[in-house]
Amino acid sequence: MEFEELGARALDTATTRGAHYADIRFERVRNERIEVRNGIVATLADSASSGYGIRALVDGAWGFAASADLTNEGIDAAAARAVAIARASASIARRPFGAPPERAYVDRFATPVATDPATISLGDRVALLLEAEKLAHASPHIAVARAWIDLWLTDKFFVSSIGSKIEQQIRQSGSGLQAMAVGDGDVQTRTFPGDVGLYQSGGWEIVEAARLRENAARIGEEATALLSAPQCPSGTYDVILGGSQVSLQIHESCGHPAELDRVLGWEANFSGTSFLELDQLDALRYGSPLVTIVIDNTMPHGMATCGYDDEGTRSGTSDIVRDGVLRGYEMSNDTARSIGRESNACVRAQSWEYVPMIRMCNLSLLPGTTPFEHLFDDVRDGVYMESNRSWSIDDRRLNFQFGCEIAWEVKNGKRGRMLKNPTYAGMTPAFWNSCDAIADADSWFAWGTPNCGKGEPMQTGRTTQAAAPARFRNVSVGVGYGD
Amino acid sequence: MTSAERERIAKRALAASTADQTEVIVSASDAALMRFTRGISNQNVAATDRSISVRAIVGGRTGVASTNETSDAAIDAVVARAIALAAFAPSDPMQPTLPSGAPTHGPENAYVDATAQADPFTRAHIADAIVAQAEIADTWGAGYVATSASGVTIANSSGALASFDGTDAQANVKVTADDSSGFAEHYATDVRALDGHEIGRRAVTKARESARPRAVEPGAWTVILEPPAFGELLTYLISHFSAQSYDEGSSFFAGKLGEKFFADGVTIRDDYAHPLAPGMPFDFEAQPKARPTLVERGVVREIVTDSYYAHKLGRANTGHALPAPNAWGPQALNIVVDSGTSSVDDLITQTERGLLVSRFWYIRTVDQKQAIVTGMTRDGTFLIEHGRIVGGVRNLRFNQSIVEALAHAVFASDAHRTGGYGYSLVVPTAKIDGFRFTSTTEF
Repeated sequence: MEFEELGARALDTATTRGAHYADIRFERVRNERIEVRNGIVATLADSASSGYGIRALVDGAWGFAASADLTNEGIDAAAARAVAIARASASIARRPFGAPPERAYVDRFATPVATDPATISLGDRVALLLEAEKLAHASPHIAVARAWIDLWLTDKFFVSSIGSKIEQQIRQSGSGLQAMAVGDGDVQTRTFPGDVGLYQSGGWEIVEAARLRENAARIGEEATALLSAPQCPSGTYDVILGGSQVSLQIHESCGHPAELDRVLGWEANFSGTSFLELDQLDALRYGSPLVTIVIDNTMPHGMATCGYDDEGTRSGTSDIVRDGVLRGYEMSNDTARSIGRESNACVRAQSWEYVPMIRMCNLSLLPGTTPFEHLFDDVRDGVYMESNRSWSIDDRRLNFQFGCEIAWEVKNGKRGRMLKNPTYAGMTPAFWNSCDAIADADSWFAWGTPNCGKGEPMQTGRTTQAAAPARFRNVSVGVGYGD
Repeated sequence: MTSAERERIAKRALAASTADQTEVIVSASDAALMRFTRGISNQNVAATDRSISVRAIVGGRTGVASTNETSDAAIDAVVARAIALAAFAPSDPMQPTLPSGAPTHGPENAYVDATAQADPFTRAHIADAIVAQAEIADTWGAGYVATSASGVTIANSSGALASFDGTDAQANVKVTADDSSGFAEHYATDVRALDGHEIGRRAVTKARESARPRAVEPGAWTVILEPPAFGELLTYLISHFSAQSYDEGSSFFAGKLGEKFFADGVTIRDDYAHPLAPGMPFDFEAQPKARPTLVERGVVREIVTDSYYAHKLGRANTGHALPAPNAWGPQALNIVVDSGTSSVDDLITQTERGLLVSRFWYIRTVDQKQAIVTGMTRDGTFLIEHGRIVGGVRNLRFNQSIVEALAHAVFASDAHRTGGYGYSLVVPTAKIDGFRFTSTTEF
């Protein structure tokens, strides 16, 4: 690897200047985004970025410096800066908290790819979007139709002063489409697949799996139909959530509160803290016994799937909630050590210029045993909702309110007429304890999120919350409209 | 990277291009941020980067490529990639000629050398002062101190060439006590303006005074929104003033420019030159920025444009382009709300029963056309009774149309810089009647 010599130089400079431990992560990132909007290619962009970030540990405190300068002088300056920053961290620390990782690995990992996107001509990629976007203009009410593709290719090289040397090539792909219908004093939007598109790790096969062309006209028709659909009622109803909405519910109400840095107060001023406090571990009944939520950073197509995290910890699986009880957290080396556990490899950085931190990885709700169509059985008066359009939750992740793009009323076990502007709200533990059915593995799907925000400076993370549709009893519906 | 170096790169890229039209954006930044919490610095980072972004337009077809390598070979390669990409895009008949630019002058104090030169110990000193205030009060603080210097140069084949350098210094803290919390922040271009003792003291005071919070019923309340709360609420309305949103019909006032929506005291401008928040005097097409009055005494007066939407809608180019490629349309990013005449104390004194809100959290749009948003209060929410603050309350969730809120708003005479999510804001404290809270939480 071309970065090997530079990496060794960085570690040598950092340790010579007083670091007890140091690591360096080189990255070469290539992103392509194509977005078609109303027949125009609004975005046809290809960006490339290379650089590195160095972590240095001095007196139990961390410093991080990143640079795009790949010369020897640039490496020396960045390593020295990381050490100086670590010393500044130590100068205000009331206690030491950082320690080097205990295990070193020498290994390689590459995302399995069925079809390299480079084998698909740019003309064909653009043509796919132009065709899908055109089909989404299903009525004169469609003021805006959009279709997009994102392709990411990241090469990483990580070396550390305890002997790790890890090369990884991560490939992630995604695509989607959206139709916005404008009526008299109303705007309604439909997005497909899910609420942001289909995002997974892999190659062009992920874009093909979205089947944009096959679904574009339906999405345009649904956006149009929503303009004249009745308003979702307000009151207490049984609610069935589509798979992508369950995915977001997991993301916001389990994925974020189970980040151990948040529990420890590291995000208090920005992203907030958590109701999943340490004294709740192995005690809190987070959800009904049907609810099991696990981390699996080795799963096929997971956006966070990789061989090693950005601290050099090997990917694996672990429990967050098992049979409804809180059993674990998403952890880094330092935070795990502080509660007597080992890291479960949940540390990521957006790219080379960002410090690695605890990020939600592949954190998923395991499927249940109910066939999807039977979720509607035994619902006398309910609402079925799909595709998120609004999400908000308090800074301890308790009080939430979500809105969806589309819903259907459910009467006596049957799906009925379409409803617009559906919302629902609740308190997290009560909501998950009201879950009395989860659809089976046939409708379980790895829903990826390409743009999860956290941290200061803000970092964007890519994560997967695999989920199946699920049923919840006695939920507050229709909040936000009316009284 | 100096402006001279950026201009050399931009000119090199323009010379290498064979496209009909070419635009080059060269940017560079050096940014550092120290986070602290519970007696440690949990993150302490610095990053230096640069970027060359090339927009090539060939026969109305546009491609954009970027790199962070700066060698001549890398510059030639990124230009070639942009031209190659353009060949695959359909021709856009509305594609205008790129603006030719005009001389501009950056506002005073946009760049402060002391900020650009701030070292890790400068930030640590400020952070330590904030933490000390929290410790004295037997509480704990979590926050950050950040400094940055950035520069951008934009050149195009129409002859435009513009450069700007700016600095930023920010600090904030959330102080947490047994059953309450408080927040304080400070934005400046000069790091020497960040007073850690004062920032810490403000947050401690809020945490102390909101202790033992009581539960209040949701419903329609008179609220007094401090600048961080009001500013964040406002950011969810600003995109409605984009020519794209107006043209496509998703803006709340689409087709109704010139109509009155808000209270008489509401005047909102976009002003890059405000002394509290001096910013870039041109947009990302090198077009000099106008300083439009978006809302004048409650009447919606103006939308913001870039070259594309000025051409499409037959309006003047107000200079509000974002960097290409831009699917979001032109945006106003330097928002200033004119202050009122009453003091903040007077607004409180004149409130029979209401809530004072320090800060909002997780605001999201519920209904685009009606501009209904939901969100939570956090870090210092207080009950006002008979004209005085009587204690803290548990946090509440709101669902509120921002349009309706501004129809019932009056402003205090203060003006504070706040920010977030890419916006720079200078706003006063706002008093709003009939603000709709829909639920409470446990803390």
